[in-house]
Amino acid sequence: MKFIDTHKDRWHALGGEDGPPVSINAEPHLLLDTNQWHAARAQWPAGVPVGIKLGNDQDVEDIAADLPRFALVALHFPKWTDGRAYSQARLLRSRYRFQGEVRALGDVLVDMMPLLARTGFDAVVLRHDQSVDAAERALGFFPGHYQGDVGDNRPLFAKPAGTAQALAKAPSQEFVNAGASI
Amino acid sequence: MYQYTDFDRRFVHQRAAQFRDQLERNLAGKLGDDEFRPLRLQNGWYVQRHAPMLRVAVPYGEIHARQLRQLARIAREYDRGYGHFTTRQNLQFNWIPLVQSADVMDLLAQVDMHGIQTSGNCIRNITSDALAGIAADELIDPRPYCEVLRQWSTLHPEFAFLPRKFKIAVTGAAEDRAAIAWHDIGLHLRQNAQGEVGFEVLVGGGMGRTPVIATRIREFLPWQQILVFIEAIVRVYNRYGRRDNLYKARIKILVKAEGQKFFDAVEEEFRHILNDDADGSAHLIPQAELDRVKASFVLPEGVAEAGAPAAAPANASGAFARWLQRNVHAHRLPGYRAVTLSLKRAGQAPGDVTAEQMESAAAIAERFSHGELRVTHDQNLLLPWVRESELAALWEAAKAATFATPNIGLVTDMIACPGGDFCGLANARSLPLAAELTERYADLDEVHDIGDIDLHISGCINSCGHHHSGHIGVLGVDKDGSEWYQLTIGGSDGSTLSGAAVPGKVIGPSFAADEVADAIEAVLDTYRAQRAANERFIDTVRRIGIEPFKGPANAVRRSTAHAA
Repeated sequence: MKFIDTHKDRWHALGGEDGPPVSINAEPHLLLDTNQWHAARAQWPAGVPVGIKLGNDQDVEDIAADLPRFALVALHFPKWTDGRAYSQARLLRSRYRFQGEVRALGDVLVDMMPLLARTGFDAVVLRHDQSVDAAERALGFFPGHYQGDVGDNRPLFAKPAGTAQALAKAPSQEFVNAGASI
Repeated sequence: MYQYTDFDRRFVHQRAAQFRDQLERNLAGKLGDDEFRPLRLQNGWYVQRHAPMLRVAVPYGEIHARQLRQLARIAREYDRGYGHFTTRQNLQFNWIPLVQSADVMDLLAQVDMHGIQTSGNCIRNITSDALAGIAADELIDPRPYCEVLRQWSTLHPEFAFLPRKFKIAVTGAAEDRAAIAWHDIGLHLRQNAQGEVGFEVLVGGGMGRTPVIATRIREFLPWQQILVFIEAIVRVYNRYGRRDNLYKARIKILVKAEGQKFFDAVEEEFRHILNDDADGSAHLIPQAELDRVKASFVLPEGVAEAGAPAAAPANASGAFARWLQRNVHAHRLPGYRAVTLSLKRAGQAPGDVTAEQMESAAAIAERFSHGELRVTHDQNLLLPWVRESELAALWEAAKAATFATPNIGLVTDMIACPGGDFCGLANARSLPLAAELTERYADLDEVHDIGDIDLHISGCINSCGHHHSGHIGVLGVDKDGSEWYQLTIGGSDGSTLSGAAVPGKVIGPSFAADEVADAIEAVLDTYRAQRAANERFIDTVRRIGIEPFKGPANAVRRSTAHAA
């Protein structure tokens, strides 16, 4: 999981006035919403990296044809308990084989990390009050899971014989009294 | 019952460790209460009226004496000495301080127990027939399928934050004892003409403010495809279910609003997964996996598939005969019976058990049922492996431990939620009414004369007491800060006795708290006056309708007389 420091991030939104853009200059690492992209897509040169931002009520299907042109798809959590973006990420990876970065924006909390990682997110912008250390720790509690995920499609039952047994014995940290200290 | 693997054990242990970490961060002020809330809910921790409530998962109702003893220990050392079995086959504690919650999760993990997904807007603990694997009318044992579903749904990363809670019930018998049509997904195992096993799939049932009976989406889905098909349903729901209004967020509302479009969307999603997705066929269940899970439902040592010598008690009479009639059920193995330990008796709330009673039940299970028990949908315990020859001895033991009330399926075997005495959501108390009715119907001759009846009491519209499906349903409502009770008649859970699942009909304006027991008595008296020979309550209601019950019920009104 990549933790994005917004001060050092190359990606930026289109500046200027709100409302439909009059013209968009194809500069690298612009992160566009779907309206902006539709205005720019006809002229956007190949080779200039561009990203798209989807609301969690937008259908991934609507941008499916353009996915090979994006280096980044940013998905939004308006509230961390709204789980729609998990399905969007899973569709991007498993159905449309999207290879670029899938980034979580919005109300992104450390305890979401296992869900984000397993549904195909590989980058997050944590909410300002969240700790990267705690987020990294949150990824480490479980030696394995029952169902397959975007990282490994196979559920536990489809993995080679002995996998479950090996996972059951794999070392893991207990984290006791560590949560409060970071 | 299901034997945990090392992986299962490790997984539950790590879940407890993860919860401890979250609790510590919360107590240290690093994880706000609002943000801790959904995390603790998905481990079964609510904050209720007096203290946190812990809902412990009992997957499809199977529990072992060893686990029950540990629950007794938790009740004694961390709670106030008792617990409460629920309609969803779980157990709730009411008084455990949140600071001790992580210690309790460790104790649960020691005996392969947890609170995973017993609350929250996720796929909840899966429920089933309390007679699964032992019922005489069973076609296919649903437990291995329940276990495969349990594993698949446990910490599913995509479906942890759905619009609302999501409940799945499974049955494999001719009789539906799991009320599957009242669930978000109801599954009925069937065989097709070729003898292949599959599921009839229902979707979109639910209680609450808008009671809806589930609709059939597939008549026969091959069992291998069940995880993929459920994934399709839940994904469509996760993407398009309403999130703007708590009361319109269940899948039933989406199914009702979209109708055929919803079914088409699910079928299309199902085809996409199988045809287009990188993991398309990964979750088709191989025969080897089903066989592995089946094999982990070990027949207790000493129970023979061939059964035991038949030893039907001859010439039983009096109280023992009554108990045999009501609390003892047919078994698929000759020479065996399933026996209900009634948790409906005077002086205790329906489904409540003290630590001592948990230990008594554990001891009885060890002596008579190879240590195994089931939690039933109607809040009793059931012993799955009782030899016919031991029924008389079991009856004595059950009597000594307060479990022998011969009332299963009768008016005092009522379902009741904890209500306003405990629950932060309730509008009214349910337990005083349950107590009053238990007292009023203490005469077993009268109770047996009234006969088969489902009386269900909910303290609020969330319907934990399943009032919609009661032949008589009671719903607690709040008006101007006082408690009122709405009576419904003619509801059904979908069993053969009760008929096709349907919500009951309201018989008039709400009754005051001091009127409602009288109103129920008036309804029962009307039935006894109007019934044909051998006619059950629900059949009389169907024959004569609800009108004839209104007058007698209204006649008991005092403070509400002007309303009717």
